[in-house]
Amino acid sequence: MATAASLHQSRKRKNAVMMALCVIAAGIGLAWLALILGALLYKGLSGVSLAVFTQMTPPPGDAGGLLNAIYGSIVMTIIGIVVGTPIGVLAGTYMAEYGRFSKLTTVVRFINDILLSAPSIIVGLFVYELMVRPMGHFSAIAGAVALSILVIPVVVRTTEDMLNLVPNALREAGTAIGAPRWVVIRSVAYRAALSGIVTGILLAIARISGETAPLLFTALNNQFWSSNLNAPMASLPVTIFQFALSPYEEWQQLAWTGALIITLTVLGLSIIARSLTGRREDR
Amino acid sequence: MKPMLSTDLNVSDTTVEKAKIEVKNLNFYYGQSKALKDINLSLPERSVTAFIGPSGCGKSTLLRVLNRIYELYPKQSAEGQVLLDGKNILDRSQDLNLLRTKIGMVFQKPTPFPMSIYENIAFGVRLYEKISKAEMDSRVESALKRAALWNEVKDKLNASGQSLSGGQQQRLCIARTVAVKPEVILLDEPASALDPLSTAKIEELIDELQADYTIVIVTHNMQQAARVSRQTAFMYLGELVEFDRTEKIFTSPREKRTQDYITGRFG
Repeated sequence: MATAASLHQSRKRKNAVMMALCVIAAGIGLAWLALILGALLYKGLSGVSLAVFTQMTPPPGDAGGLLNAIYGSIVMTIIGIVVGTPIGVLAGTYMAEYGRFSKLTTVVRFINDILLSAPSIIVGLFVYELMVRPMGHFSAIAGAVALSILVIPVVVRTTEDMLNLVPNALREAGTAIGAPRWVVIRSVAYRAALSGIVTGILLAIARISGETAPLLFTALNNQFWSSNLNAPMASLPVTIFQFALSPYEEWQQLAWTGALIITLTVLGLSIIARSLTGRREDR
Repeated sequence: MKPMLSTDLNVSDTTVEKAKIEVKNLNFYYGQSKALKDINLSLPERSVTAFIGPSGCGKSTLLRVLNRIYELYPKQSAEGQVLLDGKNILDRSQDLNLLRTKIGMVFQKPTPFPMSIYENIAFGVRLYEKISKAEMDSRVESALKRAALWNEVKDKLNASGQSLSGGQQQRLCIARTVAVKPEVILLDEPASALDPLSTAKIEELIDELQADYTIVIVTHNMQQAARVSRQTAFMYLGELVEFDRTEKIFTSPREKRTQDYITGRFG
């Protein structure tokens, strides 16, 4: 009895120590996040004004806004998503549906996982060689292509995973009623996996809207308003990079504000993505 | 081997029944392993046939050959003949989608599609028929009535099929199968995931449906086989041990293995 009680006591002590370590670790992780968000809000919020959304990036020493950078980010993100999503969804569909038992799928999945974790600057350099050098100049379209290359692996992965979660019984049921394969995929499997696939696309948007490295080598930046896809275009991340490093106070303030805008956008997208997945799990 | 059934079955039945499906020398393989061994039997038209036997005996496999649903998976293959109205459906030239509109299937777990109750039924119909909205409405209604579900869902046809209870979902699946006007309905343990009340409803339904359809049911539940079927096939280790009128199988089986199984000595 005495041994049992002392064993119990020592287990309780170990438990308390481990618990404390876990709480401290979690606290440190959360603290950084809170500090970053706090700093962004503190420094960024004071710069938020109508001008940020209506005026162009200013020359040094002048007041201005981020309109051209916001516009550039939105345009390149949209093109990146529009180009990357169909490729990603179709590739994921092949892997989960048609090629479920094929060797090619295993190979593609392996390569896709490498692409998923590849540093984005490499993608930037790749597109630089592929498009910027032959074209002779930086361009928004090159930036969008670089972003779409980042979109593809994210969407491939989530599409495949979500389709794999659709029970086979549902496919069999669709097949048993006489539906051809592609109808089963379109009307049954996609529908069942829809919220998951959309979540993947939202996460891809969140990922590319904060990317700086691939744009540095492709879209570069633009001090002025430009909607020409064949010319350099401003973007929020690159503008933040440039302004934050500058010695001018107005630029630094705009960098903080831009960082806040990106962070809140990504946060919003993540919350939407989370609530979509959550809804699926509830069912 | 020749079919065991023909002479025995027709002794007590006054009408000589036409075989809807004839299985001849059927072997089935999962990769290298043989799951069905030289199966011969014939399923009479507009009548319920039950496949019984312990787990892994091949009864579901046999059912899955009849609409060739096994073709979804590589490495599964069948050899021999399955004649539907005298035509071999295992033939390469057989159009699989058309075959499946003639031979419907209901699964063990209810599988409503992720769409509304109405769409669950209209989906299959729309695949092969172009009909007006009004015709579709009446088609959906009659299918739901056929499956004894209409009264429970008529006010919420736009609700998700997945919002129904398990028993209702299974009847929705039966309605969906009936709506495409098949000739044969395959039921793979259709009531094993349901409560007794829902099971009774499904059995009642099967009894009504046999007036118009040839029905094959796989079941683990011997009482169920005895209640709903006219013929019963007892399978064991991939072989068809005995196939006869249901009363005969359950009262005076020829084979000792059948006797042992139905009296609960194994399985």
